Amino acid sequence: MRTARISTFAVVTLLAVLFLFPLYVAVLMAFKSAKETFDSFYALPARIDFANFVHAWQTSDYPKAILNSAIVTALSVALIVTASSLAGYAIARRNKPFYNIVFLLFLSGMMVPFQVTMLPLYKLGKSLHLINSHWGIALVYGGFGVQMGVLFFAGFVRGISREIEEAARIDGCTTPGIFFRIVLPLLKPVTATVAVLNVLYIWNDFLLPLLYLQDKSFRTIPLQQYYFFGQYSSDLNLAFAYAVMGMIPIVAFFLFMQRFIVKGIAAGAIKG
Amino acid sequence: MTNIRRLARGEAWYLLFLLPALFLFVTAVVIPLATGVRYSFSDWDGVAPKLHYIGWDNYVKALQDSDLWSALWHTFKYAIALTILVNALSLALALLLDAYLPGRHAFRTIFFLPSVISIVLSGFIWGYNYSQGFPNLLSHFGLDVTSPLGNPDQALYGLIVVAVWQGIGSPMIIYIAGLQGIPGELAESAKIDGAGVWKSFRHITFPLLAPSVTINMLLVLTGALKVFDLVYVTTKGGPAFSTEVMSTYIYRTSFDNYKAGYGMALSMIFFVVLVVVTIVQIGLFRRREVDL
Repeated sequence: MRTARISTFAVVTLLAVLFLFPLYVAVLMAFKSAKETFDSFYALPARIDFANFVHAWQTSDYPKAILNSAIVTALSVALIVTASSLAGYAIARRNKPFYNIVFLLFLSGMMVPFQVTMLPLYKLGKSLHLINSHWGIALVYGGFGVQMGVLFFAGFVRGISREIEEAARIDGCTTPGIFFRIVLPLLKPVTATVAVLNVLYIWNDFLLPLLYLQDKSFRTIPLQQYYFFGQYSSDLNLAFAYAVMGMIPIVAFFLFMQRFIVKGIAAGAIKG
Repeated sequence: MTNIRRLARGEAWYLLFLLPALFLFVTAVVIPLATGVRYSFSDWDGVAPKLHYIGWDNYVKALQDSDLWSALWHTFKYAIALTILVNALSLALALLLDAYLPGRHAFRTIFFLPSVISIVLSGFIWGYNYSQGFPNLLSHFGLDVTSPLGNPDQALYGLIVVAVWQGIGSPMIIYIAGLQGIPGELAESAKIDGAGVWKSFRHITFPLLAPSVTINMLLVLTGALKVFDLVYVTTKGGPAFSTEVMSTYIYRTSFDNYKAGYGMALSMIFFVVLVVVTIVQIGLFRRREVDL
């Protein structure tokens, strides 16, 4: 049994090293100079040198891209959480055919792949002036996000006892009053789930920004990285420094929010 | 009369609650889908102000389009290989990490880490490793390798490796959660009855894990069929069309080649394929599930 445990540990460790290797290479490259890279690809640099990072910071519009990503993600997640908690609550509490049909509509929408709607969406965005605007892209992310969001919120509300709400209604509380004062505070766990899953998706998304945020001043991190890599493909160390800089915010988010992310994914699987 | 009015007022709030979500959903999904269907019956180039309808011509043409068939073939090859590999690896990891393994939380973090970075980044990192890093490393062992992404026979497999690396995070977590839901007594009593590790896995753990298998197979397969970013940022469908998948083919047709009408017909065909795959898969797997 002991040897089994040790060999399991060895196998998992080996796999973990393999998994980290590409990331290790990225960090390594970011700290090395072109000459050091030429001398040896995988050797450690002679000293810790932030020159590549400084250079990358100066040549790219990194703070702007971070800000764009943050604004787009925050707006979209706010829209998704607000709209789907309201709709999810209505669907869960009014168990009538009309509401169930709306619910099914949201569910079947999840089957529509983005590739099918991307061209009309681009044309629609152009005619409604949603292109190159934080609100415009957030609106589209909102529309994508509410489908899963409604599923989560409706499921969660169904699990909450109605008694408190009924007592409040007898005391003269209106429907919005009940929702905002009584139900909303109870929705914290499911809100966290929906929020973290959408943050991960929207922060890293590439295709929608590629269509919607082409203007330099609106580019999000993945899009800016894409152009940066294309532009500096000859200066790999610089490109890798930029890659590592781009990784930092989302990796930090993941490490801090890991508990919620893990819970969210597991909950999502049960709902599905 | 007052009763009806009160009822209407009560209902009105709930209907109002539905509105924001419905508005977003209709704008971002329903309207584009409907417009897309309309475009697919036209020979629109994506720019002209007027639509000219040509009936089912695009669909007829698509069925005879050999590029469509090879894009579909690549897509399915990629998706099926990915589904099998990701599920096998993430299930194996979940089983290994679920036991009393020291540092299993740290390991879980490590295996999930690649999933949180953007595909643009991972495509870039792997592109470099493939083209310069690995050949350089392996040359020390006397091996002469070139980047798989530059070779039409290997490019798709090169992409599959990257996708496995980035794709096992969520399935692994779903498997771990599934395993935690299986009561320990069952495995124990099997052990007392003389079942070995494999038998106990085959007859107890695996059947009870069936719901997790279903959802993971479905999520990975449908996700992989829709692959776009990874192909677009690394090979752009090349070399020699060898990694052209449905999404990139649709993108190229609609945006780069100005055949919006035809591109939308391709999209609709792709949509139908996805729906059929989903339904068939749910039907296949649900039957095998065991309720506890």
